[in-house]
Amino acid sequence: MTLSTLRTRTAETLLPFLVGGILWEGGCRFFDVSPQILPPPSLIAAQAVELWAKGALRQHILASLFRLLLGYVLAVTAGIILGALIALKSDIRRMSSLTLSLLISIPTITWVPVLLITMGLGDRTVITAVFLGGLFEMIYSTALGVENVNRRIVDAARIMGAKRTDLFFRVMLPASLSFVIPALRLCIGYCWRALIGAEILSAMIRWGLGKMIFEARFWNDVTVMFIGLLSIGLLAVLFDRVFLRRLERITIEKWGIAARIDA
Amino acid sequence: MRWDPNIKITLRRVTKVFEEKGVTALQDVSLDIRKDKFTTIVGPSGCGKSTLLHLLAGFDRPSNGEIRLDGQMIEKPGPDRGFVFQDYALFPWKTVLGNITFGLTINGVAKSRAQEIAMEYIRLVNLEGFEHAYPHTLSGGMKQRVAIARALAYNPEVLLMDEPFGALDAQTRKYMQGELIRIWERFKKTVVFVTHSVIEAIYLSDVVVVLSARPGTVKGIIEVDIPRPRNYTGQEYLDVRKRVLGILEEEVQKEISMDRA
Repeated sequence: MTLSTLRTRTAETLLPFLVGGILWEGGCRFFDVSPQILPPPSLIAAQAVELWAKGALRQHILASLFRLLLGYVLAVTAGIILGALIALKSDIRRMSSLTLSLLISIPTITWVPVLLITMGLGDRTVITAVFLGGLFEMIYSTALGVENVNRRIVDAARIMGAKRTDLFFRVMLPASLSFVIPALRLCIGYCWRALIGAEILSAMIRWGLGKMIFEARFWNDVTVMFIGLLSIGLLAVLFDRVFLRRLERITIEKWGIAARIDA
Repeated sequence: MRWDPNIKITLRRVTKVFEEKGVTALQDVSLDIRKDKFTTIVGPSGCGKSTLLHLLAGFDRPSNGEIRLDGQMIEKPGPDRGFVFQDYALFPWKTVLGNITFGLTINGVAKSRAQEIAMEYIRLVNLEGFEHAYPHTLSGGMKQRVAIARALAYNPEVLLMDEPFGALDAQTRKYMQGELIRIWERFKKTVVFVTHSVIEAIYLSDVVVVLSARPGTVKGIIEVDIPRPRNYTGQEYLDVRKRVLGILEEEVQKEISMDRA
């Protein structure tokens, strides 16, 4: 890609934000909207800087990221193991299919009231909710990925002498990454939703973006709410671009097995 | 029973029924495949020639009868055999080099040694300079050369090839046939090659086995005693072709009338 096309693409990506921001700012000023109802972007930015300087925003972000990443890593690990077992063992598949269909249709947020009682009002509940939020996506995608591994690739490995463990880790697992890696990107989206919902409902936690947004309600502080919303969006995009999207590029895209959906 | 050292593989009354489809793919196939010879199996489509090769590979078990390799029953896949698939079946996440070293490292060869051996085979199939390329960047002919190198690198006793050139264009196909013979003359192993092209079969093989239409049985065995390199227009070549086509003709007729019924 040449420098000029790169510049054009960056401009195209950022343009909607610029236009949106100008319309928002201009609209607020022109119609003289009260900042208590809809604060202009300039005010949100100024407040965000202030909140960051005080250290409060960072505290909220760190608390949320800790819960998110712990729950996410657990969901991914358990999801891959369970998904692979379901795909490879027909008895496990038969035993779990109804349970899974049942569990997957229950919205994660509805688990939270139950968890609040069984697991307490703190971090454990939130992390468990994040875990449950991401788990089913990983189970389903991994199972689908392993089931869809080209039979001949497995046969090729078998005749070369690959057996059980090697066959799984050196053949089935890499071959199923065309399903598993895109699922990693979807999974973290579900984890975010579960995280914020659970943070709002958990009474005993002090920090977290969900908490910050929800508590701003008591002071009618729309600005803080917007700071929370934008932080979530920015963090999610950052994590996706810096880590997951890059992972996708150096694996399944490099190998030519990615089913491309987005950019 | 003593094992004849000139025979590599024997099939005795091998029958394969696919229960769920209610299809008898092979019926009482008995055949000796000679050591270090190039044997080709031809037959009308659906005659069970690929099924037969899958049984030799151990990917599938016969419903009846037995298959022995050097006197040992074939029960599962193993590195005493190499297999080349029509659709290559390369590992897309591995480079050319990684694909070829796989069969070595999986059998306990040290990584550095495996890479040395793999490089020899990469040179053998004329793919120098592509060792770090990923399969999806290669053409069909190149992919199949990688697959052949991969199947030979761990030094199997028998090379099984399932219509390996079926997906290639005519020009590449002809070139690959020449290449295969050149490579085979270097390593001189037992090859069992499945194709539906009589021209290809005669160009390549020492022995052509003709299977009948479904259920597949051995219809004829023709020795091809033409010195290599062969050409497609010599009188000897045309004579053999006539014989093979004669046998096949009946079978094709039978298949067509079966389709009409």
